Amino acid sequence: MSNALNESKTESSSESAGVTADVSTGTTTAGESDEQIREEWSNYHFDGPAKLSVEDLNVYYGTDHALKDVSMEIPEKSVTALIGPSGCGKSTFLRCLNRMNDRIKTARVEGSVELDETEIYDANANLVELRKRIGMVFQQPNPFPKSIRDNISYGPRKHGDIDTGLLARLLGRDDTEEESELVERSLKQAALWEEVSDRLDDNALGLSGGQQQRLCIARCLAVDPEVILMDEPASALDPIATSKIEDLVEELSKQYTVVIVTHNMQQAARISDQTAVFLTGGELVEYDDTDKIFENPESQRVEDYITGKFG
Amino acid sequence: MSRESYQQELSALREGVVALSETVVDRLELALSSLATGETAAARRVVDGDGEINDRYLELEQKCIDLFALQQPVASDLRFVAASFKILTDLERVADLATNLAEYALEASREVFPEVDVQALGVSAIEMVELAVEAYTEADTAACFAIDEYDDSLDQRCAEASDAVVRHLIERETAMADDDTVQRLLDDASRLLLTIRDLERVGDHAVNVAARTLYMVENDDALIY
Repeated sequence: MSNALNESKTESSSESAGVTADVSTGTTTAGESDEQIREEWSNYHFDGPAKLSVEDLNVYYGTDHALKDVSMEIPEKSVTALIGPSGCGKSTFLRCLNRMNDRIKTARVEGSVELDETEIYDANANLVELRKRIGMVFQQPNPFPKSIRDNISYGPRKHGDIDTGLLARLLGRDDTEEESELVERSLKQAALWEEVSDRLDDNALGLSGGQQQRLCIARCLAVDPEVILMDEPASALDPIATSKIEDLVEELSKQYTVVIVTHNMQQAARISDQTAVFLTGGELVEYDDTDKIFENPESQRVEDYITGKFG
Repeated sequence: MSRESYQQELSALREGVVALSETVVDRLELALSSLATGETAAARRVVDGDGEINDRYLELEQKCIDLFALQQPVASDLRFVAASFKILTDLERVADLATNLAEYALEASREVFPEVDVQALGVSAIEMVELAVEAYTEADTAACFAIDEYDDSLDQRCAEASDAVVRHLIERETAMADDDTVQRLLDDASRLLLTIRDLERVGDHAVNVAARTLYMVENDDALIY
């Protein structure tokens, strides 16, 4: 059965793309049409509005061309997985989506990224506001060395959404109740409330790795984002903690747009609605529904990568 | 589509297989009764409905492939999806046999072969399919072995029925002069032989379902050939 599937795929991909796929070496010999093929295969169409639209994105670190002409549209309220070998540019791409690369002095970003049809690389863009709307969760859980409660309320305080300080109280404003509600709501959304509700004033660093990661997700949710970027959020966790994060990602996608970078292809297969495959050289090679990518990818290079023949 | 919804997808597959089996059994019963009554409308429903069964079968097969590709089931989950994948094929084949029976019903002139009780054979075959699917849903390994044993008796009864048809034919033929009558009798007899063979095959598919169920539950391949 699998042989038959493989054969028909090889046939149809070479037919539709007009290239010859050399199965023995696992390379696609394409020549002049490589560019066109990539454009065709990475031109993913979906119903409904795009939350993020990326067009001709190029990133350079000094002279190193890390991301080449990447264009893709990310549908709202879904999970989009970015996979590919180390150094393929997937994390670079993710960091472009909320302008985290601005913090790297040698990095230069060209092209366009629109959030709800508004250019985020506009000179007048408000970065604080942008990163409130597009939150981020990192590979290593990085809670503040503060109480669980303070970890959650830190963002909303900084944004001026809540205030429980002495001065606020003197001025007749006390958001203690709002803060409690916010902390409870965020922790519940991150599926952590049951485990920590009786020790909100304990230091967050006393939590397990999996709990710390869910706390970081709760912290991200507390500022009410629209998009959540996740860079390998489960790679430092054991399988049980990982499956909790995976369940959570699926739950979150009902309300938020989630973009997740993962080295773990099986994780991408399990949790994402669509998958983008980046390969060495900073190219987006193929972008499609996740079942299409894992059952019948168009590109021979993607086939070789996901079946473990290379990369 | 993570672990919680993965569990839901596994249940959905199980429910889909059971629902398909129920439709297949309905079709078998309809085909069998149309063989008895010669009611062409019922037979036609079975023939026309085969496309719908094929569609549902392909849809469920795709569900299995999605689960393999996207969820990488292991251990008992793996055996469940793999067994279901195979069982679906058997159910689809049983539906094809039901279509054959309905087609015989449309053609038959119902010459009486009193020695052969097709209805009794049919009821037994249908019962085996029902028991096999029940064993699958209940993870009942004892029932799997019972179905395999019961199939021996169905095989035996089918062989006897076929012998009776041929014997009847030989005895009748010698006494007859009219060519047309002989031809009609031959047609009826061959159809009846095919009917018996198809019912015997329904039983074989029920055993296949039981065999894959045994593998699914206990990783035991004793009944797989």
